Amino acid sequence: MTIYSLYIYDRHCTCVYYHDWHRTRRPKAAVEGGILPGVSHVVAPSQSPDTQGRPGSPYGSPRNTLSSNTGIVIAVNEMTPQTPSPLLQTPPPPPALSSTGLPFDEEAKLVYGVVLSLRNMIKKLAGREEQFVNYRTSSYKMHLYETTSGYKFVMLSDPGTDSLRFILRQIYIGPFLEYVVRNPLISMDSKERGVDNEYFRASVDRLIRGLSVFP
Amino acid sequence: MPIFGLWVINKAGGLVYQRNFADGLAQLTSNEYLVLAGTLHGIHAITSRLSPIGSSSGAQVIEGETFKLTILLTATGTKFVLLASVTETSAELILQKVYEIYADFVMKNPFHTPEMPVRSEGFDQRITTLMGSFQS
Repeated sequence: MTIYSLYIYDRHCTCVYYHDWHRTRRPKAAVEGGILPGVSHVVAPSQSPDTQGRPGSPYGSPRNTLSSNTGIVIAVNEMTPQTPSPLLQTPPPPPALSSTGLPFDEEAKLVYGVVLSLRNMIKKLAGREEQFVNYRTSSYKMHLYETTSGYKFVMLSDPGTDSLRFILRQIYIGPFLEYVVRNPLISMDSKERGVDNEYFRASVDRLIRGLSVFP
Repeated sequence: MPIFGLWVINKAGGLVYQRNFADGLAQLTSNEYLVLAGTLHGIHAITSRLSPIGSSSGAQVIEGETFKLTILLTATGTKFVLLASVTETSAELILQKVYEIYADFVMKNPFHTPEMPVRSEGFDQRITTLMGSFQS
């Protein structure tokens, strides 16, 4: 029993957040321009930190804006040095042993494609409003939770787990509302930036690690 | 726990057999079923590539809120898809039996052209009996 990864998509079909736990095969980093900045620093296109700043989490800690030596308060600090967040319990695992051979942006599109096609297929077959809930293969299970605002929470877990819809809902009503929707520094629906920030990531991480299905 | 329908999809993604057994799902035209079967064929291929760990089969069970699609992929690439209510527990078993009947009454039929739509009374009959024994 375990949980592999979480994808969040907005209503424009773009991936705005990615988090993984026990993947043994991680996708390659996305190509330049393939994903929005602020989705996940793990799969962001590789850039040297001194020239481009950290692509992952510019909204890092709001307090960073006050710690500037010059005394000037900078609202969005793009040049935050890459320091591991103290809020995250463990650092992400080192680059995976093997890769799926697929860049992250391609993978994200495939996941979205599958989710959308299955959702339409289920609706068509049922002939009424019916949601696609999950599917299972021999090695993983994919769960979907869709909010009324069109956000799609997609989670990959062990094939043996029961429905994880309520957990996706918990992520939505807990961390997502608290640290994304109510976060004035996150422009939702911007099509320019993901919703990754230190607090949201740490909070999701804590929630998932606390689950009974998480080893 | 009704069984709603059965599809047989050939290795190219064409729907070669489709039958409904119970009401509860939308009544679609044969053209719509063909499109859905093709979509399912594509999705099945993609799902095997999305595995977060090692290699994976394609989707085996796809669940909605009230019904599910159970997919049996044979070694030759033919897919048997059973549409049943989510509470149906013997879907895999039924598909296995359908596969046996398919082998006996379709593949062993000298007049059947492989990969083409299945029109065989014997097959229809056996499937009806099989579904009858599970439908309660």
